[in-house]
Amino acid sequence: MKVTRLLLRPQHIGWITPFFKPSLHIPLLQSPLPRLCCGQGQRWIHCGSSVCKNKPDSADFRELFEHETEKKDKSLVTHDDLFAQAAKDAKTKANFNRVVDVFNKKDIRRRGHVEFIYAALRKMPEFGVERDIVVYNKLLDVFPKEVFVPQNFIQRMFNHYPRQQECGVQVLEQMENYGIMPNVETKVLLVQIFGEKSHPMRKYQRMMYWFPKFKNANPFPVPHELPQDPLDLARFSLTRIANDLDAEITVYQFPLTDITETGEEIAQPHIVGIQSLEQRSLLAKHNPNRPVFVEGPFPLWLRKTCVHYYLLRADPVPPEEKIEEEPDPELIGPEQSFFYPQRVELDLNRDLGDDDSFDVDDVEEGPVYAMCMAGQSDQATLARWICGLQETNPVLGQIPTVFRLESGTRELQAAADVHHSPEQNAEPGTEQEHIIEEETLRSQGMKQSN
Amino acid sequence: MSRVIRQTPAGVCDLFRRQLLQPGPPHSLVLSTRTIHGRDYRRPGHSPDTRWPWEKVRFDLSKGLEGIRKHFGLLKDEFVGQWKGPEGRPLMEHMLEQTQVQWEFRGPESLGQWVVSSDREIGGRSEAYLKLGRNNTTCMLYGTLASVPPRDGETRYSGYCTLRSKQPLSSFNRKRHFDWSSFNTLVLRIRGDGRPWMINISAETFFSHQRDDIYSYFLYTRGGPYWQDVKIPFSKFFLSSRGRIQDDQHALWLDKVNTIGFTLGDKADGPFQLEIDFIALCSDRAHTEEFAYELYKRNPEA
Repeated sequence: MKVTRLLLRPQHIGWITPFFKPSLHIPLLQSPLPRLCCGQGQRWIHCGSSVCKNKPDSADFRELFEHETEKKDKSLVTHDDLFAQAAKDAKTKANFNRVVDVFNKKDIRRRGHVEFIYAALRKMPEFGVERDIVVYNKLLDVFPKEVFVPQNFIQRMFNHYPRQQECGVQVLEQMENYGIMPNVETKVLLVQIFGEKSHPMRKYQRMMYWFPKFKNANPFPVPHELPQDPLDLARFSLTRIANDLDAEITVYQFPLTDITETGEEIAQPHIVGIQSLEQRSLLAKHNPNRPVFVEGPFPLWLRKTCVHYYLLRADPVPPEEKIEEEPDPELIGPEQSFFYPQRVELDLNRDLGDDDSFDVDDVEEGPVYAMCMAGQSDQATLARWICGLQETNPVLGQIPTVFRLESGTRELQAAADVHHSPEQNAEPGTEQEHIIEEETLRSQGMKQSN
Repeated sequence: MSRVIRQTPAGVCDLFRRQLLQPGPPHSLVLSTRTIHGRDYRRPGHSPDTRWPWEKVRFDLSKGLEGIRKHFGLLKDEFVGQWKGPEGRPLMEHMLEQTQVQWEFRGPESLGQWVVSSDREIGGRSEAYLKLGRNNTTCMLYGTLASVPPRDGETRYSGYCTLRSKQPLSSFNRKRHFDWSSFNTLVLRIRGDGRPWMINISAETFFSHQRDDIYSYFLYTRGGPYWQDVKIPFSKFFLSSRGRIQDDQHALWLDKVNTIGFTLGDKADGPFQLEIDFIALCSDRAHTEEFAYELYKRNPEA
């Protein structure tokens, strides 16, 4: 039985197709085929659409795949049409699953399943199911079971059913690219489809080896689903970049949309700021004659989303103004605890080779006093942030504040990303000119938007 | 059997190991090294290079004199350095040092030790540039990432930007290697924008088919205005070749290190920046691990 099956397979690939190429009509194919392979059951025969029509599922299923069979003789890629049909109403997971079901029910031999799976893999991001392990398992389930499992050592030695194995590997590779860990169901399916030592199975094993190793490698993890609320997002990003557990988050302004009596709509952007105790004490020591700068926006990437933040900072303190920090006399004098000294000048247990410091000069940079994220990046919004900061930092009232904002509005930045990001660290002089241009630009932009 | 099936991909971008010798064709913004060596895969829109091989070489007396001066100078430095101690440094320093700053950025000439490239080379649309930071003491790598694959019918993934150090050369263009065998940890001070990067170290190999072997590990950036000190033990670096993690893992041999590289390929389209203050080595005595991945059994067991 098995031998004849094997013999028969090349037959109708090699013989029948040349005969019927000119008129590849499914009803025509049906009549000679059963005679050729009588007694073989329906295993290797293409069963026409009439067989499947005997077991209708629902009206739209039939409609869907009738549409597909109609087109079959016209184009090679028919499976994209299936998805395009399904995408007409809604691109959802349910619709995607429905298309796969339609394909599965159409033909018990799953004819053309490799092409179908490739088409489905391409369409997955469109339908928003690219991060769903269930859908991947469903796609793997499209492969016919036990057909591609090598039966003897020769088949095992050579690449058995290479196209199908490559397709299986491709499914796994797409899972890998989206960071989806396969589960036991995937393994069972792969064993059923390709056997124990096939290439997709190897790929599965490699993924199961490496994925858990690097799953928690990131010391600054970002969740897959970022918070939708801009306030929560701002809180999350600010705590991430502040890197200080003492840092306090203050919401200076909640987002609001009001309609005034005249009917004008007033949108109030959110302003969320963060300042740690250390930053506050640094700001208190700031020389009031020197200005502080509001700089930004600087990008921060959280996986695939980019948020922008602003800094309140000062220029580096010139060396002549630097005050030598006098250490607290209590810590070094005779008053300090003898048993638990706070500060010891001796290099005990230090040998010649015990110097672990790096021979580099520190980068001279101005101190950062506070950070914030705002819904709008215009100067008025950021001025409100500075006003809010003055409540906790009264010294800010005496210090001149200079706004060094770049072409910051996000709408503008989308178009001019490339040109402006290099200039983030440009010289201050050029930036000032930039700001003036920016002001005019922004006012124009606001006029247009209003 | 194709290599793609045999190995596991890990999102490691394929870097070009060969060293930059002369700038590529003028139409490419990114300097390309591929056109010099061997057959270049021609992308649509690029005209083929029909020059004869000797036309690509500049026969010039001034170039020859320059070369003689440079190479004999290097040779002299090598001989004189021998008298001072190993690698031209005093012996005590060589024996006792626990840390060593390998690359730092002081002035524009320090950028000449690095090669920036992006997927422009294969027809992509990413851009990467290198410049000095605000006060000329750091190196700023910036650009835009675009992960649209080139429409050439065979490239499936694209979108990477890399920075790679040049292969150090001694006199008469002999290869020189870094000997980092007395250290076990890589230390960097960086400031990124929250994107994950990958650090690639390539070491000298014996067989030519190992040419594309690189040892990689991830570099996660926090983002924000503060500098970030990163310590990565060399034992964590895993072996990959042409973008695929290998089944047969080996620890990185530190006695002949050629280059170090940084690769971005996180598929998030948009601008990026990475500021590097210095790249150093240290010997962390608390770290005793030799290799972080299993060696006793191949995975998966074949």
